[in-house]
Amino acid sequence: MSENHPVSKVHLEVLHQLLGAATHEASAAMCRWTNGLITMSLDEVREIPLEEVSVEYDFGMEMLTMVVLTLNGEIGGSMILCFDEENGRELASSLLSSKQSGSGQWSALERSALCETGNILGCAYLNALTRLMSVELVPSPPYFLQDYGASVLQQALMEQAGIDDQVLICRTRFTRGDQELNWNVFFVPNIQMRQRMEDALHIDA
Amino acid sequence: MVTAVQHNVGLGQIQVARNDEMLTSILGSCIGVVIYDQSRRIAAFAHVVLPTSGGRPGSPGRFADSAVPAMLQQLRNEGANPQQLRAKITGGACMFGNSQINIGERNAEEVRRQLKEKKIPLIAEDVGGAKGRKVHFSPQTSQLEVVVMGVTSTII
Repeated sequence: MSENHPVSKVHLEVLHQLLGAATHEASAAMCRWTNGLITMSLDEVREIPLEEVSVEYDFGMEMLTMVVLTLNGEIGGSMILCFDEENGRELASSLLSSKQSGSGQWSALERSALCETGNILGCAYLNALTRLMSVELVPSPPYFLQDYGASVLQQALMEQAGIDDQVLICRTRFTRGDQELNWNVFFVPNIQMRQRMEDALHIDA
Repeated sequence: MVTAVQHNVGLGQIQVARNDEMLTSILGSCIGVVIYDQSRRIAAFAHVVLPTSGGRPGSPGRFADSAVPAMLQQLRNEGANPQQLRAKITGGACMFGNSQINIGERNAEEVRRQLKEKKIPLIAEDVGGAKGRKVHFSPQTSQLEVVVMGVTSTII
């Protein structure tokens, strides 16, 4: 990969394999955490011009509930687990064995349940990448956010946008049985992470 | 009922609106810059992502140092009076608490510098913090509405 030169379709397919393997491990962890209820799969690995992000990933104008993990160090990136209000509440109440979803302000327990979900999922994902890429990845503690989805994705894309005109975004979907859930994980690597992923897969620029 | 045209201004984009048209954007660490001519009810909105281009190609709206000149050019082309132009800015949040790079503040600084250099008075700003913003601007009123957390609305 080089500045202003998009990665090829073959590169993206190979990156898809790597990130698909990490997602598979995260899915197993998620399945255990939710007593077999929820699984996840890699939806897409895309490289698109920065100017198209707002159109291609339209979060709308509403608030979302998110758990964010950032990778500290040179090889970095961000992982954003996001839900709409209803789905976030449902997950929290299910994890807390509560019969009714909460409303109004999120309680400390509800926030904690969602953060722990992000932690379990993120650690499984990053442990897999650590093993597959032979690099050490150090995630921040997860933190809970309620904000506009587009504004959080903007921050995650900053490092890539500072160097390249194209940005790489990986999106994961969740299912409960056959039903697709309105949850997503966005993984946004920084430039060094992208380079290391390609190195690990022996992709020549 | 006739609804006014709404322009959603995405990452790195510049859009121009007139009269009761509405310019709308969601901003995190990016800066929303609006330059307007109140007398002719025309405005340009840029969704600035990064402070400087460093000579990189790409859409001018992406960088503060190329967005402001491009907005002025578009406003001139649309018939705005250069002597009447004013500016308002918003955004520039630091969304991730542990982020070492406060790109939002750097974006805001470069936008202010560009406006000063081009002698465009900066009338109002709502910049910084740790939350995203939903913003609306209408050339009809020259009011910039800033909504934080979906509820707290400020007019600047």
